[in-house]
Amino acid sequence: MSEQRQILADTADRLFADAVTSRRIEGFDAKLWQQTIEMGLPLLLAPEADGGAGGDWDDAGAVLHALGHHGVPIPLAENMIAAQLAADAGLELPSGPVSLATRVEGALQQAGTRFDGKLLGVPWGRHADAILAVVPGHTVLLRRTDATSLRHAHNLADEPRDDLIFDNAPAVCGPASDGTQASHLLALARCAQISGALEAALHKSVEYAQTRKQFGRAIGQFQAVQQQLAQFGAEVAAAMCATRAACRAATRGDASFQIAAAKLRCNLAIGFATSTAHQVHAAIGFTREFDLRQSTQRLWSWRTEGGNDRAWADVLGARVCARGDQFWADLTARDDAVSLT
Amino acid sequence: MQTFHFDPVDLPPGIPAFRAEIRAFLAREMPRDYPAEQKANCWTVYDADFSRRLGERGWIGMHWSKTYGGHERSALERYVLMEELLAAGAPVGAHWIGDRQTAPAILRYGSESQKQRHVPRIARGEAFCCIGMSEPNAGSDLASVRTRAERLPDGRWKINGQKIWTTLAHRSHLIIVLARTSPADEKNRHAGLSQFLLEFDTPGLRVQPIVDLVGAKHFNEIFFEDCIVDAECLLGTEGQGWKQVTAELSLERSGPERYLSSIALFFELLRVVGPSPSESVRQAIGRVTAEIWTLRQMSLSVAGQLARGEDPYVEAAIVKDLGNVFEQALPPLVQALADDGIHLEQDSDFVRTLALLLQTSPSFSLRGGTREILRGIIARGLGLR
Repeated sequence: MSEQRQILADTADRLFADAVTSRRIEGFDAKLWQQTIEMGLPLLLAPEADGGAGGDWDDAGAVLHALGHHGVPIPLAENMIAAQLAADAGLELPSGPVSLATRVEGALQQAGTRFDGKLLGVPWGRHADAILAVVPGHTVLLRRTDATSLRHAHNLADEPRDDLIFDNAPAVCGPASDGTQASHLLALARCAQISGALEAALHKSVEYAQTRKQFGRAIGQFQAVQQQLAQFGAEVAAAMCATRAACRAATRGDASFQIAAAKLRCNLAIGFATSTAHQVHAAIGFTREFDLRQSTQRLWSWRTEGGNDRAWADVLGARVCARGDQFWADLTARDDAVSLT
Repeated sequence: MQTFHFDPVDLPPGIPAFRAEIRAFLAREMPRDYPAEQKANCWTVYDADFSRRLGERGWIGMHWSKTYGGHERSALERYVLMEELLAAGAPVGAHWIGDRQTAPAILRYGSESQKQRHVPRIARGEAFCCIGMSEPNAGSDLASVRTRAERLPDGRWKINGQKIWTTLAHRSHLIIVLARTSPADEKNRHAGLSQFLLEFDTPGLRVQPIVDLVGAKHFNEIFFEDCIVDAECLLGTEGQGWKQVTAELSLERSGPERYLSSIALFFELLRVVGPSPSESVRQAIGRVTAEIWTLRQMSLSVAGQLARGEDPYVEAAIVKDLGNVFEQALPPLVQALADDGIHLEQDSDFVRTLALLLQTSPSFSLRGGTREILRGIIARGLGLR
């Protein structure tokens, strides 16, 4: 990792760690949000010309990994993506928080100045000033206060995932060349958050195994436990490696293949990781008070968000089957392209 | 706690052209009438002619010094060559071990005359090598080897003992033998071991084949009966055998062959199911693709660390463990997908490849360190041991 990116990652990590240590807030951490604005994080992916930080997905991945590791409740991933997509569409971004809607039922009206329809499962919808939504061919910005109805809902980790209904609401829109961009980037962001949360669950489990004593010694000294934690570690390593490779690809260009593969691999890791984390922690891990659920409830939620296994396996499978015996040539060409530049 | 290092790797310039060169060579030089199932687990398939042609081409010992017959190419170019040979299912078994670990061990620890005598022959694809580690009572517990080397008054060594599960010993020219040179000390089990570099025409050395469960003859027992060798056969430093063998195992575990042994079956599956299979098959292929892509990224990352001179000991264990799990999961997965209308008695490329891998893949998590040993290494990396 470059020195500059390491500094960014370390700074974000400290900020999020402090937020968790000083106060565990469910819902939305307004104070932390203000601090991320001071660091330029919500606009990390917007070009400097548009008031952003001009960062890339390697940077964003490092920050979102830290976000997922500490499980802090702010719509940072969504705001980062909204800023990137708004800049791509030539839209001016409101100050925020801006969330992202990838599940949209509805359409633009009156030459793109009005929107009728529903935005479903909008992360931190109730706290967002604006929501960026993608409809076929267009990127649309809507104000939360223009919604006629807002239904509160949550994912398993109590993160807000709200439904908003708009009835002939004012809209600002720009062209979206690639309608799948938003869902790909959301998947990539969730991969980075999943990697962070997996890592946190691993660390908690290893520490717990080193301190919890049964039969006169730390349970981490039993080979049966060591072997489970080793497998857990390998799964975390796979998710982290896949995510970093997909972020690298997104920094360089079209990463649709890599993102689909990374989300599938991250999702796969979640099953073994969460079951092992809870097995090692036993009953204490099942309490409301204990911290482990901050990782595992997010992991179970994020496995669906940004596309579940069936969705991405279908995309990737169809793509590979269509190319048949070109599989290996395609697989290698994606990394070789770097050495051509 | 820093977890593990898997930084993405940028391949050096010139890789696309090199890859094209390898593919053109393979299109021309792959043996004719090569059975499809041989492409599975191809790095144990022996073909001396093919290895010699690779040697002529400069594709053995690619990154070794030119002084000893190497070609001073980059370690990542060598990685690309390996993955291309494996993906094509080329018969690379004859020279694989010499290229991967024996010659690198000689270059690192050997005397000048050992380097001059053996390494150029290995690079030309004329001398093949095998691994003298396992014994009947020393498998995962390698430090318990009982093969003994005793120094004679004239400085020569007398070796007695037995090695087993030695792949391609019956067709090899060289073997590095791990032997005890001073009595076992229960307090320091890793002390008192040394490595010896032996040629197979040494008197007192006898090879006896073992037939595996599919009837193939590739591994062997080796007996050393008062086998007298020159002082110069000691490899490296007397008593440093454990440190040397550990370095050798790092090389043995870190390559792309640890996740690609079953890839031929995936290619067969893609061919058989065609461009638009059922939804369930399509999704299974999508999931397998995600694993292959991830494993390749991990394997490349380890190769990049090795190329920078780092020692990714734990990371290599992770890639081998995940790679072996994948190689072993693929055959039964394909069997489950293909059960409709495909029967194991059928004589087709697809079914023969499946049948071979169903039976041989259980060995993939034994060779080069069992999954339990690897997970012990990973657990140590996590601070649990």
